Amino acid sequence: MEFVSPEGLRLDGRRPTEMRQLRAEIGNVAKADGSAVFEMGNTKVIAAVYGPREVQNKSQQMSDQALVRCEYSMANFSTGDRMRKPKGDRRSTEISLVIRQTMEACILTHLMPRSQIDIFVQVLQADGGTRSACINAATLALQDAGIPMRDIVTSCSAGYLNSTPLLDLNYVEDSAGGPDVTVDKVIYVDFALNGRVKASVLWDLWLYFGSYGLKET
Amino acid sequence: MGLPNASEDLSSEMEVDAFRRLFPLRYFERHLAESIRPDARSLSRARNTTISMGAVASADGSALAKIGSTTMLAAIKMEVMTPSLESPDEGCVSIDFHMPPICSPLVRPGRPAEAAPVVAKQLSDTISSSGMINLKELSLVGGKAAWMVYLDIYCLDADGALFDAALLSAVAAFSNLQIPTVSLDDGKIVMLPEEQKEENSEKEPVNKEKRKLTLGGIPFSLTCILHKNYILADPTSEEESIMETLVTVVLDSSNQLVSLYKPGGAVLAYTSAVQDCIALTRQRVKELHQILEEAISGMEID
Repeated sequence: MEFVSPEGLRLDGRRPTEMRQLRAEIGNVAKADGSAVFEMGNTKVIAAVYGPREVQNKSQQMSDQALVRCEYSMANFSTGDRMRKPKGDRRSTEISLVIRQTMEACILTHLMPRSQIDIFVQVLQADGGTRSACINAATLALQDAGIPMRDIVTSCSAGYLNSTPLLDLNYVEDSAGGPDVTVDKVIYVDFALNGRVKASVLWDLWLYFGSYGLKET
Repeated sequence: MGLPNASEDLSSEMEVDAFRRLFPLRYFERHLAESIRPDARSLSRARNTTISMGAVASADGSALAKIGSTTMLAAIKMEVMTPSLESPDEGCVSIDFHMPPICSPLVRPGRPAEAAPVVAKQLSDTISSSGMINLKELSLVGGKAAWMVYLDIYCLDADGALFDAALLSAVAAFSNLQIPTVSLDDGKIVMLPEEQKEENSEKEPVNKEKRKLTLGGIPFSLTCILHKNYILADPTSEEESIMETLVTVVLDSSNQLVSLYKPGGAVLAYTSAVQDCIALTRQRVKELHQILEEAISGMEID
């Protein structure tokens, strides 16, 4: 299937290095300490941060730093077909872990010992790049909550189809089976590799497009 | 030094916020004595309500309802199923209410909120007994295929009056619902995107004419708190946690009583209190009906 036309346009009319439209809003959830809604094209994600607050499970309390918890879940109606199990399946657990490790590396946890910071992310509409949208939304929510961080974390995905590197994949491009990469600036890098691709191509892909996309975000 | 005296002495010295946290009941009662509430509302006024239709682009029908800060997102997805043997001409509606941890600091991940299954049950009982949805309209091919309607309501911010906001968003989502077109292909029902209607039309039961559901009596509700002699309409979560006696009245658009719900509580509801609640609900139904009409006509212009 052709994902990039001979003129160099993708299925939704974008150029290979063009990102989807980005929109962000903060302070949507009145009850939360910090919250944000982040949209990347049709992917819409809401994040809420509660903390620093008292640790709920005393056995997990750390005396020298804050405990960071994260939960990622998708709404039943977020994908094309209704999802039966929005939480607790492997993909959600994996993404929760990825987000937690990314944010934990950036938050200055040693400033808030014996406390807990909860980051909850809910996907309302999924059209590819949910992982990136979640990290961006979580960063904004943490900033809204006033939690001290080393730096802002931004995230973007990139892939390789029809011999062209592509930035910010939507659902159709993501499920096409080519390799794709999610790059989070600052600390953590995540690779999802399907299919055979030369290592050198992948490295170039990561360096060039990842950083390009992040500058825009 | 009894407790009431203690707070009296301290009230002149303390900051307002501290007094609010330490003696919440006295803080509220001081306001109620002046017939006003801390957010400057009168006792019988509900918070600012808005409805926005079509909030979720990928769903067949959706709506976002906000009452004050309480936010509910409802979305409907439809699937084709085989109807049961007892009711071969009827479809089915399944309502699910979720309270994800983002909505409130009291909800923990892994442990569903206490209020969630209660509101879910109340919602499905109210919608089925109000007769808003005629299940026979959901039938496609008698005995063989019918629509299964999945309504998912997510609470994005829990600030009191959860049932009211959830019911409002459910009703708005049903008003916004567009039934997808299907055709019969070798005895199997196949979902069609808009363009292909002409090619595949061996048999298009109900579909071309009937893309929207006809809604019967639409239910609207109002939750009130009873405290001593006061009746407070549309409580915030702070008010609900301090004064625990709630009464929820559901009326339909022709002012018929659909349901009355009072789950215990310290204050007993005598006839006069119940009648006052119903009167408040009647006023509220008019407001909500108007807001819903405006939201629907706003969508149609687009």
